[in-house]
Amino acid sequence: MASNILSIAQSALTAAQVGIGTTGHNIANAATPGYNRQVVVQNAALAQNFGFGFIGQGTEVSTVKRIYNEYLGSQVQNAQTAKSGLDSYYAQIRQINNLLADPDAGLSPALQDFFSAVQGVATDPSSVPSRQAALSSAESLAARFQSLSGQLTELERGVNTQIASSVTLINAYADQIASLNDAIGKAQRSTGQPPNDLLDQRDQLVLELNKEIKTTVVKQGDGAYNVFVGNGQPLVVGTSTSKLVTLASPTDPQKVVVGYKASNGSTMAIGDSSLVGGTLGGLMQFRSESLEPAKNALGRVAIGLAATFNAQHQAGFDLSGTAGGAFFNVGAPVVTAHSGNNGTATITATVANAGALTTSDYSLSFDGANYTLTRLADGNTTTFATFPQTIDGVQIDLTGAPPVGGDSFLIRPTVQGASAFSVAITNPSDIAAADAPGAVGNNVNALALAALQTANTLGNGTATYLGAYGQMVNEIGNKTRELEVTSAAAGTLLEQTTATLQSESGVNLDEEATNLLRYQQAYQAAAKVMQIAKEMFDMLVSIGG
Amino acid sequence: MRISTQQIFDGGAARMGDVQTALAKLQQQIASGRRMLSPSDDPVAAARALEIAQSQSINAQYADNRTQVKNALGLVDGSLSGVTDLLQEIRSAVVSADNPTFTDSTRAALATELTARFQSMLNLANATDGSGNYLFAGFQSDTRPFVETATGANYQGDAGQQLVQVDTSRQMAMSNSGQSVFQGGGQDIFQTLKDLIGLLQTPVATPAAQTALTSGLATGLTSIDLALTNISTVRASVGTRMQEIQSLDNAGSSRDIQYSAALSDIQDLDYTKALTQLSLQQTALEAAQQSFVKTANLSLFNYI
Repeated sequence: MASNILSIAQSALTAAQVGIGTTGHNIANAATPGYNRQVVVQNAALAQNFGFGFIGQGTEVSTVKRIYNEYLGSQVQNAQTAKSGLDSYYAQIRQINNLLADPDAGLSPALQDFFSAVQGVATDPSSVPSRQAALSSAESLAARFQSLSGQLTELERGVNTQIASSVTLINAYADQIASLNDAIGKAQRSTGQPPNDLLDQRDQLVLELNKEIKTTVVKQGDGAYNVFVGNGQPLVVGTSTSKLVTLASPTDPQKVVVGYKASNGSTMAIGDSSLVGGTLGGLMQFRSESLEPAKNALGRVAIGLAATFNAQHQAGFDLSGTAGGAFFNVGAPVVTAHSGNNGTATITATVANAGALTTSDYSLSFDGANYTLTRLADGNTTTFATFPQTIDGVQIDLTGAPPVGGDSFLIRPTVQGASAFSVAITNPSDIAAADAPGAVGNNVNALALAALQTANTLGNGTATYLGAYGQMVNEIGNKTRELEVTSAAAGTLLEQTTATLQSESGVNLDEEATNLLRYQQAYQAAAKVMQIAKEMFDMLVSIGG
Repeated sequence: MRISTQQIFDGGAARMGDVQTALAKLQQQIASGRRMLSPSDDPVAAARALEIAQSQSINAQYADNRTQVKNALGLVDGSLSGVTDLLQEIRSAVVSADNPTFTDSTRAALATELTARFQSMLNLANATDGSGNYLFAGFQSDTRPFVETATGANYQGDAGQQLVQVDTSRQMAMSNSGQSVFQGGGQDIFQTLKDLIGLLQTPVATPAAQTALTSGLATGLTSIDLALTNISTVRASVGTRMQEIQSLDNAGSSRDIQYSAALSDIQDLDYTKALTQLSLQQTALEAAQQSFVKTANLSLFNYI
């Protein structure tokens, strides 16, 4: 019997030690990201029948388990990926918002100065200084267009770089998740017990991965995580991974897109719209919904200004009586053939009516018989079979052999409008202020040029130059504001789901302190049992002696 | 509900962070005096502010244009006042010439005087502004408008009138064609003067010649009176335009004040409100800090 009491005390001591150890582990990791509290699961040892009844055999620790609710965990992951996506979009668009914030640095002061100087020419058409002032302020306006467009291009390059680093992170997380799948599987198979800290690490990695991109996690029977991204491309399957890669866009070599490298080695581009959530999704959304439209909007103002101003200028005569030439140079529409095209057709696009231009890009595809032009901003399509066609102010034509069915082209009418905007004339006397040759005081055309400032020339006669620019400022401002609000809301949601998860899984130090006291007392009591067992044994020995 | 220790710390940090962000924004607004720090603060107002600023700048441009017109019209009026004075003097001379006691040599002396007046008149008609542009040449502002001929003067300019945008929908002529001023209204000042000079230089020996002189002088007087009427008409139109400029100036400056007020309404900060908000946020931050320290200090470990 005495040895039985000793072993009961022994089991109690062990259980108390495991309890103190686990409590200590919880205290140590109270601030570790992704750590879930662990509890000792203890049960009474199988009792022994002595004929007169069952006598307990002490206690045993059946397992140490982590308190983790997978459902709440996936809610946190979803909230996190939404929040990271909005944050990344917001961080980017804020830069455009700040760019437009300074009233003295935007397009509008340069535009006003330019037209003031044109008024100056109208008031004193024969004065070379007033003509020189008009040329100089035209140069400033061109520089402002170029600098704004340059800053947007900088942002584009920044987005390319960030896409690449996000893809690198995603691949690294995928590798780590795969190796954790392996380690967890081995640990579980060899001990039959859950390797809690490895499980925590893997869940934390999935959360980190969701900061970069939205994932779908499917838990396998053996406990391994299979992770899918985009349109269901498997990133991690058991212990093996597939890679995301960065590629040059098939329709725009300057633009980095994300591709999926399948296990057979083939690479295919994933559509930008399929990559949602997380930093990567936010970047994609920013690029297609705000950055490219902003660049196009600026280009549209530049092209509209140049086209209408040039037309009026060419109707006039300069100081030497020569008919006016183009006042501004402007960037032409850009057409790129898809790199996978089978035909060699070249599609050209020219601005036929600047007043009808939109800020959208267009995709032109050929099915073997008909061409379909899709306005990418709203998906509006036009189908036709012959060239040339003029749609939204852009004349589209075909040179060379017709394309092969399945070929496609990207048409960007206004993308280079602002970056290539420059002043075409250098000699002040070339400004065509007169409406008839041979009279230096004739200012009729200069008056007409000055009047363009307040004329509704753009957007099919609905907007002035400044109005069209104002629309862009308004759109960026609105989107930034919307993101401020939705990002804050997503933050609150993340906070709440995290709080719910934490309220189950997080370490509470007061609770651990209580447990510490509980296990300390259990240990002391077990030690007392052992002491009594020893005293009983000593007593027996002394009787025998 | 169970709460984890980390939540207490994270929550505390987040609350204080939120208040600090709000404080930083208020501080920026107060330092810059602007309610709208970027378009996202009020996207509609941001676009509106651009338009108002453009309207204000155009309004200021019109004010500059009006100053130019005012100066040009001042010069024109000055010249025309000279022309009026000159015509009055010529008129007195012509009236005095119809005097039977005058001899051929007296009339010749008068003719010499009129020749000098002719040159003065030509100078006035060829007047230039500060930059050397001719005032009465129409669009041909670099061409000397009147060139003397044997029978008067030829107009080298054209009929163009330089218009200037002086208000949103008002273009005002700041020049007059010399032809309409000096050779309009059924007369030609230069031809009249040349005729009179020729008449006074002709000797009067017979009663018929005397009659011709008298009737010639009478024709000359009629022409001079027509010229005076024509100049007065032109001066009246110049005066009306200067008056209109004055009233447009008044309207323009009151518009400028309205634009400034509208811009200020959109962009500027209400300091009272902002400062009240600032002390409110300060109190909130202090409260968050104090309550956090108190909560975070509560630990069972303090007692075991």
